[in-house]
Amino acid sequence: MSETEDIWDVLMVGAGPASLSSAIYTTREDLSTVIYEKGVIGGLASTTDWIDNYPGFAEGVSGLELGEQLQQQAERFGAKIELGEVLGIKDVGKYKIISTTDGDVKARAVLISTGSDYKRLGIPGEAEYYAKGVHYCATCDGAFYREKRLVVVGGGNSAVQEAMFLTKYAIHIDLIIRGDKFRASEVLIHELDKFPMIKVHMNTTTDEIVGSDGKVTKVVGTNKKTGKKVDFPTDGVFIFIGLLPNTGFLKDTGIELDEIGLIKTDENLETNIPGVFCAGDVRSGATMQIASATGEGATAALKIRKYLEKNS
Amino acid sequence: MAKDITIYTTNTCAYCVMVKKWLTAKGKPYQEVNLDETPERAEEAYKISGQLAVPVTVVTKDDDQKEVIIGYNLAKLAPAVS
Ligand SMILES: Cc1cc2nc3c(=O)[nH]c(=O)nc-3n(C[C@H](O)[C@H](O)[C@H](O)COP(=O)(O)OP(=O)(O)OC[C@H]3O[C@@H](n4cnc5c(N)ncnc54)[C@H](O)[C@@H]3O)c2cc1C
Repeated sequence: MSETEDIWDVLMVGAGPASLSSAIYTTREDLSTVIYEKGVIGGLASTTDWIDNYPGFAEGVSGLELGEQLQQQAERFGAKIELGEVLGIKDVGKYKIISTTDGDVKARAVLISTGSDYKRLGIPGEAEYYAKGVHYCATCDGAFYREKRLVVVGGGNSAVQEAMFLTKYAIHIDLIIRGDKFRASEVLIHELDKFPMIKVHMNTTTDEIVGSDGKVTKVVGTNKKTGKKVDFPTDGVFIFIGLLPNTGFLKDTGIELDEIGLIKTDENLETNIPGVFCAGDVRSGATMQIASATGEGATAALKIRKYLEKNS
Repeated sequence: MAKDITIYTTNTCAYCVMVKKWLTAKGKPYQEVNLDETPERAEEAYKISGQLAVPVTVVTKDDDQKEVIIGYNLAKLAPAVS
């Protein structure tokens, strides 16, 4: 920490790939660095079963392992990780006051890398059966569906990837897609051919999750072409319909967001508040990949160093 | 005081890792039931928690009262093991 009071050089919000990568750089520049994480160290990447496209791992790497390695690498150079949530940020000129679940903390620069959370469908039964048949994390809860039937909702990369992962357990999966085509990458769509137990239903909306005795029994959808209701008997539902930016805590900070709630930055990855930077999935214009998140984290670290040099 | 802490986990569950990391940081020993290695105990986890999700942490207090915490929830875990 800097000599005056207890002020960190850099406080990072969220310990996903973007922050952990950034912290490797800031700590090696001798900038005291603390990261606050409210969930999993390693971020969304750690909740992903297998990552095949992160450079440097010829055979791929498990999400958990990558998160663990990133954590150890950042800690090796002195990054401090606190398990707590950031609730707000206030700019008081020379430094920022960051309120957290463990009290207020001061830092000269802030990096926001809070990524995003799973979107909910907002249909009847979804909240009622949450964790009792409705799930958003396959690597967490898939093991309860050994030899069972499942419904997976969504047509993007996450839905396809997670449906394939769930075949480790389930004997049949109905993959329900609202549109008339996948939004997943060609490689993944191609891969799907190897999983005959996954049945794809395009042009189908997911309308209701129905259960009895506290367990899910079926999903009711509508075939948009025929207008007919369709029943999907199932033991559970996994929903992967996209992500919502984790920017709710910035409501009263004056930090500028775009129309979907992602953080706007300039070419230095700096927000409209000087000294507050942003990297990774939560940044407007980000490409939502681990490789780009770690790249942005490194860039942000170097921009932060410049900012601190100018403003100390 | 907690007499026993048992966590139901799976191999791939990142939130389970966080519960274990947090308990270790607090110096609290725990036992682990890995449902990938002992799938026959999944039903037991469901009966205890009423949920089809891990992590499930069961804290047995000195007076044998049990507290069940679902998920990685520090607001509940911290008072339960203190
Ligand atoms: C199912 C799935 C599969 C994926 N597969 C791949 C893949 O194969 N390859 C690939 O490159 N990418 C993949 N991705 C995308 C990848 O996970 C993200 O691009 C990457 O994790 C982004 O990193 P990040 O650091 O920006 O954010 P995140 O990883 O989302 O991390 C943000 C962290 O901030 C924390 N946080 C949020 N708000 C607060 C707060 N107020 N206080 C404290 N902490 C907070 C969160 O808990 C989280 O841990 C996948 C994503 C999903 C959902």
